[in-house]
Amino acid sequence: MATQRVTVPLAAPRPLSGWPLLLLSGLGLLGLSFALARLAAPPTSPALWLLGVLLLLLLGIFGIRQSAQGETLAARTVPAAATLILFVLAVEALLRTYGVPTGLIPTPSKVMQSLWAARSVLLQDAYYTFILEALLGFVIGAALGLLLALFAVRFRFLERGLLPYAALLSSVPIVALAPVVIKAVGLGWPSKTIIVAITVLFPVVINTVRGLQSAQRMHLDLMHSYAASPTQVFREVRWPSALPFVFTALRVSSTLALINAIVAEFFGTEGHGLGFRIQIEVGRFGLDIVWAAIVVASVIGISFYLLIAAAQRRLLPGR
Amino acid sequence: MTTAPTPRPARRASNVLPMLAVALVAVLIYWPLMLWANAGQAARSLASGADLGCGTALQCATQLRNPVIPAPGQFASGFQSLSVPPLAATSAPYNALVTGGETLLGLALASLLGLILATLLVRSRSFERATLPWLVASQTVPIVALAPMLAVLLGQFGVQGFFPKAVIAAYIAFFPVAIGMVQGLRSPDPLQLDLMRTYRASPAQTFGLLQIPASLPYLFTSLKVAATAALVGSIVAEISTISFSGLGKMLAENSRASDTVALWVIMIYGAALGIVLVALIGLLERLVTRWRPSA
Repeated sequence: MATQRVTVPLAAPRPLSGWPLLLLSGLGLLGLSFALARLAAPPTSPALWLLGVLLLLLLGIFGIRQSAQGETLAARTVPAAATLILFVLAVEALLRTYGVPTGLIPTPSKVMQSLWAARSVLLQDAYYTFILEALLGFVIGAALGLLLALFAVRFRFLERGLLPYAALLSSVPIVALAPVVIKAVGLGWPSKTIIVAITVLFPVVINTVRGLQSAQRMHLDLMHSYAASPTQVFREVRWPSALPFVFTALRVSSTLALINAIVAEFFGTEGHGLGFRIQIEVGRFGLDIVWAAIVVASVIGISFYLLIAAAQRRLLPGR
Repeated sequence: MTTAPTPRPARRASNVLPMLAVALVAVLIYWPLMLWANAGQAARSLASGADLGCGTALQCATQLRNPVIPAPGQFASGFQSLSVPPLAATSAPYNALVTGGETLLGLALASLLGLILATLLVRSRSFERATLPWLVASQTVPIVALAPMLAVLLGQFGVQGFFPKAVIAAYIAFFPVAIGMVQGLRSPDPLQLDLMRTYRASPAQTFGLLQIPASLPYLFTSLKVAATAALVGSIVAEISTISFSGLGKMLAENSRASDTVALWVIMIYGAALGIVLVALIGLLERLVTRWRPSA
């Protein structure tokens, strides 16, 4: 570690761009895939093609290594993007080389085709799963959690009585809860909203209480010497020091919300939602649609997470 | 998720009394809530002319066949029927053990994978730049959604039974473990690294004698976070594959059979299993990291 830190600046001035290697590798893999798509049957000597793919990947890895040097914006973003693109291309080429039936492992291009073909169904599923279940449940759970945390900090008895339960209940697996709630509330989307709200509630309560109590003794004493009212103390000291904790909880729960909405749908729906789609298509071996649904869910999940992270940066600059 | 393990603040006063009070309130709320939740269904059954053997909707509320919230008596009989021969194939304790075993094996696999990944991430900056964004993104991807498909895939290649569930549990748990290990491997301060240098320790020795032990508390903190997720993973895997034991299989069966009392009982077993797993990891942590002052 320590030696690395010393040698890096010495190696940095070398102006070596990874672009030629990356382009070569990417175009080569793309060319292989196209060539394989032209063939009527999978090639008879797959070892040769495998060697080609591996060589091109090796070139790509060197390209990634070279483009990861330095501290520029490109050096931070290009390696990750190149990794994803090369990985997808290599998977495509390999699946075609060995003629893996698309019913078993669909090629990335097939997944993209299915995604486009089924876009209206998947968008409607995403509307149910994300807007009605995950987002609504997230908002309800976070609001309730904040309220509960405020009460718990205001009344110490409540904190000591409720928080241990909250910590205990947060290690309850969501899948055990889902069937009971769905049986009680019904198959429609509200049951999933409730499940999401419950799972968001606990991290928010625990982290908010921890945050509200993280105010420094010195700051509180200072406010006391200013003769500040409890409301002022709360607004000026306690709440600002709690915000980072609240945002940590919100970020963690943003991913939990979508995941749990999908899992909850495995236990019964009225025929909408990404979880329902995944389950039903796995049963029918429509794995291309399953992957397409996962791609949609991933894009939504990552965007939701980035949105909350951006809100945190906006509201809490310098953290 | 990625916070450093902090020592627990000292308990000022005992929590027993407030916790008991809250539990008492919960029990007091439970009875009217149960009556209210079941009365509607009971009234509908009575109105449709079913003979439930009881007069009014309120009286029937405690003896519905499929209550929304079971009455105490139903809970008791449900518990008895699901757990009396504790190791029978259809009893909840046995199935909870199976699921717990899968989850623990998964967590062990996740620790191994996490250690390898964390070592690579700490050693090579280009590896970190190329893969870390995707490791982070994989955390926001509904990985559980992959579980049914992974199960199908592994089944195609002849991997069946206990192992695929553990693989899925590991797949879900490895990310928090890897991130925790990265933090842990980087946690020794320069003073400690300098000391190792004055001893003329080889990089491997520094790694094995300083960085690995320093990362253990971080490993256990992230394992506790990962344990619940891994448990969810193995239950979902049991639901979506052909399985003959495990809580997930019981959930799927009783969900199809609409046996609500059994679902409640299994939920309580699942909750207990989650709590026990986290406690087990805490116990292991205390055994392994003896040198740390107990938190």
